Amino acid sequence: MTFDMIGIAGSALTVHRKWLDAVSDNLANMNNASATSGPAFQARYVEAAEGSEGSGIYVKSTQLGSAEGRIVYQPDHPLADANGNVKYPEIDMAEQMGALIIAQRGYQANAQVVDRARETYMAALEIGRS
Amino acid sequence: MTVAPIAPVQGVLPTSYVTGVDTGAAPVAGTDGSAFATSLTGAVDNLQQLQSTSNQLAVSAVTGNLDDIHNATLAATRAQVTLELMATVRNKGVDAFNEIMRMQA
Repeated sequence: MTFDMIGIAGSALTVHRKWLDAVSDNLANMNNASATSGPAFQARYVEAAEGSEGSGIYVKSTQLGSAEGRIVYQPDHPLADANGNVKYPEIDMAEQMGALIIAQRGYQANAQVVDRARETYMAALEIGRS
Repeated sequence: MTVAPIAPVQGVLPTSYVTGVDTGAAPVAGTDGSAFATSLTGAVDNLQQLQSTSNQLAVSAVTGNLDDIHNATLAATRAQVTLELMATVRNKGVDAFNEIMRMQA
């Protein structure tokens, strides 16, 4: 059985890119205030799954986090309800920053795999050349 | 004195390190000596396909129609490695031919 090194690393690069997109979306909407009657912004999570027959990885689905949000007392806010409360999304900034770093490092690691694969193949072609 | 006939060049097996691409030419045992040529032609066609894919992706990348930039660079890497492989196989073939041409009694 052969594995396509470059293709596997490419699938992982795509997954990490999507993860970075999701984290970016979560961080961008982290401070969205909304009325307490409606749902808060829901964090987006990428569900990755192993590809069949060593074909790498793929994004199976994206899941949405809780719409519960946290209630903040801000009576001056235009969206505040009768009790002076608004809703903010339940997104932990530290957690998202951690995910951002992990996703970036994962992307870099897989980019390295592509480079190493290329070097390996080139070394194979050098065998017996001189 | 009788001289045994020289066996025809056997077909080379596909390397299959680039999967998912139909090499086109299924190597067959060389009965008429054309198997190596068929393999080589199939490999050239395969390379041509990889390079055209790479070119299309490069155009998509620079025109902003590509979500994943790495798809373009990966295709370029793939095409480059395959080109090197092709060149190596061709050089080996030419070397073998030259070696035969230098033979003397």
